[in-house]
Amino acid sequence: MSTQSISTREMLTGPIFANNPVAMQVLGVCSALAVSNSMQTALVMTLAVTFVLVFSNLIISSIRSLIPNSVRIIAQMTVIASLVIVVDMVLQDVAYELSRQLSVFVGLIITNCIIMGRAEAFAMKNPPHLAVVDAVGNALGYGVILLGVAFVRELLGSGTLFGHEILKTVENGGWYLANEMFKLPPSAFFLIGLMIWSINVIQRKRG
Amino acid sequence: MAIKKDSFVGTMIFTVTLCLLCSFMITGTAEVLKERKLVKKRDELMRNVLIAADVDLSGQDFRALFKKDVKPLLVSIDTGEAVSDATVMDFDPRMASINPETSIKLEKKQDKAKIKTRANQVRVFKVFNDSGELTSVVLPIYGKGLWSMVYGFVALKPDLNTIENVVFYEHGETPGIGDFLNDAEWTNQWHNKQIFDDKGKVAFKVVKGGAKEGDIHGIDAVSGATMTGRGVQRSIQFWFGSEGFEAFFKKLKASEV
Repeated sequence: MSTQSISTREMLTGPIFANNPVAMQVLGVCSALAVSNSMQTALVMTLAVTFVLVFSNLIISSIRSLIPNSVRIIAQMTVIASLVIVVDMVLQDVAYELSRQLSVFVGLIITNCIIMGRAEAFAMKNPPHLAVVDAVGNALGYGVILLGVAFVRELLGSGTLFGHEILKTVENGGWYLANEMFKLPPSAFFLIGLMIWSINVIQRKRG
Repeated sequence: MAIKKDSFVGTMIFTVTLCLLCSFMITGTAEVLKERKLVKKRDELMRNVLIAADVDLSGQDFRALFKKDVKPLLVSIDTGEAVSDATVMDFDPRMASINPETSIKLEKKQDKAKIKTRANQVRVFKVFNDSGELTSVVLPIYGKGLWSMVYGFVALKPDLNTIENVVFYEHGETPGIGDFLNDAEWTNQWHNKQIFDDKGKVAFKVVKGGAKEGDIHGIDAVSGATMTGRGVQRSIQFWFGSEGFEAFFKKLKASEV
């Protein structure tokens, strides 16, 4: 990826839609399936990934000229893993209940291919300010998919958004019969599939 | 640069420096959060004790409630003697149970709860009502389930036999299967069950296939979680037996503590 040919603006907006890491590169799907059953967990997960992605790209990009080639992957992992532990500790402190809901998936940010991928493909070759822009763009791309999927899943699965009742379910004496499938991870597969399809169609129309 | 970054020495220097910096980052964060964590831990403890004692927490400040109604005691298991001073809340049961100076190693035969070492002192809580009468005694128990130590509090009524309530606040049993430990529907069964039979032996049981109606010692086991249930039963047998609270109960009955 040559940096000169694309503008900073494109670098920020590209990954949100046209080159979305989840939809187009199909990275980071595991966590997208697991934590997208409510808006709240999806939002917190997005923030956690954003933090890790921005700082890992920043740190790795700043020390990229010092990293010996033979240990570069391990060096990236060390930085990413440390950041994830920090995020996990902070999350447990400020939002203990939420961190329990997210359980292992905060720790698994370490293995999220978006972060590794951006570190290796972008931060290793570009200066820090561009790496941060790239990180924000990719984090937004991840967040858009996650929040989009969570919006549909929470609304149809529980009739709520951020825990606030939107559709009154039959259980609570309303009219909406909640679709239990949307509470389970497989529904995210369908939703992400539909998103990939629609993004592809729009991309093709644009040429 | 004098040393080439891709040489052996350069790689070593880089990795060591990076690891050190990263570890500073983590320990730094841990240090900043430490104080807050301690406060949280204590809040959690107070809340669990009050829940175990079946105190209604809704709309109340649990810290004030705890201060008013609960008297923590540090009990010596061998003699049953208890002390109560300001440091009791700082007592760390986990450290006490692994430190060889403050614990004993259990023989395999004694070690029903499979805890290997047992602290010489435990922290129990006496809970009083508004008129100053003892309403329950909250006792800490723990023991091995299938994968993990299961930690909980059992609250007994002043007869030191009837269970008021129970709380399991920490376990690492199979997610989804061992979760019944935190399920109110399951813990509600414990209400008014009795630990000891007429002869004073521990008769409390977790019954596979379901406890019979009117069984005052038995609660239902949960299918798929045989070992977790057995672990809970053995913890009760251990902690209410001679290696556990026996001496303390004697003193308590004789109103010496």
